[in-house]
Amino acid sequence: MKKALIVAKWEFLEKVKTKTFIISLILTPAIIIAFAVTPAILTNQQNSSTQAIGIVDTSGLFFHSLNNALAKYKVQNEQPKYLLINLAGKEKKLPKIIRTADAYTLTGKIEGYLLITSGGTDSVEAEFRHKSSDITYDLNALDDAFNEARINLALSKEGMSHQRMKIISSIVDIKNVEIDKEDGGVKSQFLVLFFTSFIYIILLMMMILSSGGMLIRSLVEEKSNRLIEILVSSCSPDELLTGKVIGLSSLGIIQVLIWTFIGLVLVVLNVIPAQVFSNIIAILIYFALGFIFYTSIFVGIGSIVTTEQEAQQITSYLSLILVLPIVLTIPAIENQGSVFVQILSYIPFTIPSIMILRFNIGNVPVIDIITSSVIMIISTYLFVTIAAKIFRIGVLSYGKRPSFKELISWIKEE
Amino acid sequence: MLLVENLTKLFKDVTAVDNISFKISPGKIFGLLGPNGAGKTTTIRTVLNIIKPTSGKILFDDKSITHEFFNIIGYLPEERGLYKKSKVIDVILYFAELKKMSKKKAEEEAVLWLRKLGIVDYKSKKIEELSKGNQQKVQFITAVIHNPRLLILDEPFSGFDPINQQLVKEMLLGFVNSGKVIMLSTHQMETAEKLCTDILLLNEGKEVCSGSLSQIKKDFGGNHVKVEYQGNGSILNSLPYIIHIDNYSNYAEIQLEDKLQPYEFLRDIVDKIKVTHFSVIEPTLNKIFIDVIKQSAKQG
Repeated sequence: MKKALIVAKWEFLEKVKTKTFIISLILTPAIIIAFAVTPAILTNQQNSSTQAIGIVDTSGLFFHSLNNALAKYKVQNEQPKYLLINLAGKEKKLPKIIRTADAYTLTGKIEGYLLITSGGTDSVEAEFRHKSSDITYDLNALDDAFNEARINLALSKEGMSHQRMKIISSIVDIKNVEIDKEDGGVKSQFLVLFFTSFIYIILLMMMILSSGGMLIRSLVEEKSNRLIEILVSSCSPDELLTGKVIGLSSLGIIQVLIWTFIGLVLVVLNVIPAQVFSNIIAILIYFALGFIFYTSIFVGIGSIVTTEQEAQQITSYLSLILVLPIVLTIPAIENQGSVFVQILSYIPFTIPSIMILRFNIGNVPVIDIITSSVIMIISTYLFVTIAAKIFRIGVLSYGKRPSFKELISWIKEE
Repeated sequence: MLLVENLTKLFKDVTAVDNISFKISPGKIFGLLGPNGAGKTTTIRTVLNIIKPTSGKILFDDKSITHEFFNIIGYLPEERGLYKKSKVIDVILYFAELKKMSKKKAEEEAVLWLRKLGIVDYKSKKIEELSKGNQQKVQFITAVIHNPRLLILDEPFSGFDPINQQLVKEMLLGFVNSGKVIMLSTHQMETAEKLCTDILLLNEGKEVCSGSLSQIKKDFGGNHVKVEYQGNGSILNSLPYIIHIDNYSNYAEIQLEDKLQPYEFLRDIVDKIKVTHFSVIEPTLNKIFIDVIKQSAKQG
């Protein structure tokens, strides 16, 4: 066992110094943060200055009320967010007005314009015309303001008092409140937690892929230059394997600790909400189980392949298996209690990611926690045993990759 | 003493090693010889306990080789290579620690060996920065640093220039004096001839000849002479009592019929060709190797 520790120490120290490790350590959270923060920054930028919006209103009834309704939106320094310009005033013919307004929009003089056409006493249509590249233009404010103005106009036509109108036309939002069975508390920010889960799953995936890749590369190197023979004439294959797994796991622990630290710093800086860490212990447990499970698969594969190319080929297949849970978890979010989610919670390949997701978005029944953990532990034990057997023989066989039949006979061998 | 008895190793339907036996006493270098694919590496791996023999016994000092022998075995595999991105000293210490050396002792010994092999300046360099020869030296150190009692060297001289070959040879002879059991596998017959006292010649997994080198040479027999000459040597080729001749541009190695005495042969040729040197020679191991392998191939 002592030799396993010597191997572990070597693997850890040699790998912790590699560029691959340092890059994945820093780059992974950097990419995730970039993904998480960039959209927010972009949205903020878009809204940071006053926007000039044209109004073309053939009825001539809406400009004033729209102006009032939109006045509540502000940007920095109490400047109004929307500056409305009446484009219908000077010209009488609609096609010509539209042509001019389009030109203003295309040249960027205005963000776009609201074209209101009334087709009779009560019917009215509205469209917001803007540059085709502004596909994400936020119309909610204009929508609300227009409808408010339209309803108010209609009601005042019916002779309703201003006060009654205010009460009737005030919009009541339906609050999204999720009830938590256990403590009766409420869970909001559903989306935040959903995406947090994805970040955890992606982190797990990156970690497994980078350390699994390192494991395979080091095994291939040792096999191709016959270092493996010196190693197994110095310690037993089991000690060697144990050492490698311990070394890699410590590397994984360091990685997780550093990532957790970065996460905590971000919480303190208010970049991400603190709820992200509310299930951290359960998540870390599934993290660890998933990591060991997949590492054992990498060990088995690493002992079979003989060249770097083969290794890369198989690593890419494995990454597909790893991505699979992410794809599968999308339906899971829609119906937590579905049979589908239940099934995924029993398959060792998907347990880590599905459970991380379930922990974050809702309450997981204790029985599910127990069954999934037991399945995970048993299958990890099985895979480690199988991987060790393949390793014992595989590391010393060169040349052709063994057939499936040969592999079975290796596993059966005492 | 290393004792191997009736060792057989089957891989599926291929017999890699077929019932071979040998023993190596301390203080002797044993040569395991044979062409490519003869079963040398398989034999070495079973002795190292890396793979299990199908049948047969392997004993070291009357005990079967198990994992407790890890720390007394030193092994230099034929194909070389080390962790390229790692530092020389780190690699040496890793292997030394795997052989249960204390870190302090390993550090002392490492510096000692690096100095002995003239590469102490490269101690903190990465392996990949060293020349091929120097990398080989580092690997040699990893095989011997823990002062193993059983030393197994597979082609230890390949990749070394003549000066370094000489250096390694001297070291091996030093190990002989310290009573190590040394097993040497090589293609270089000349080296084997100089270093080994006993040999085992393998072909296709089977033993084709074994024993002490001097006995083998005697048994192989033959009436061999070497003639150095000036002028046209082709005349030698046509002489009737010659069994075999290897004629080079200015010398020839000739096997004569057993009944013919070398001096009679000399008397016969001095008139025909200008002889500058004449000697009676033993068959070289190289010649024995080639002849025996050819013969066994014919029989097979």
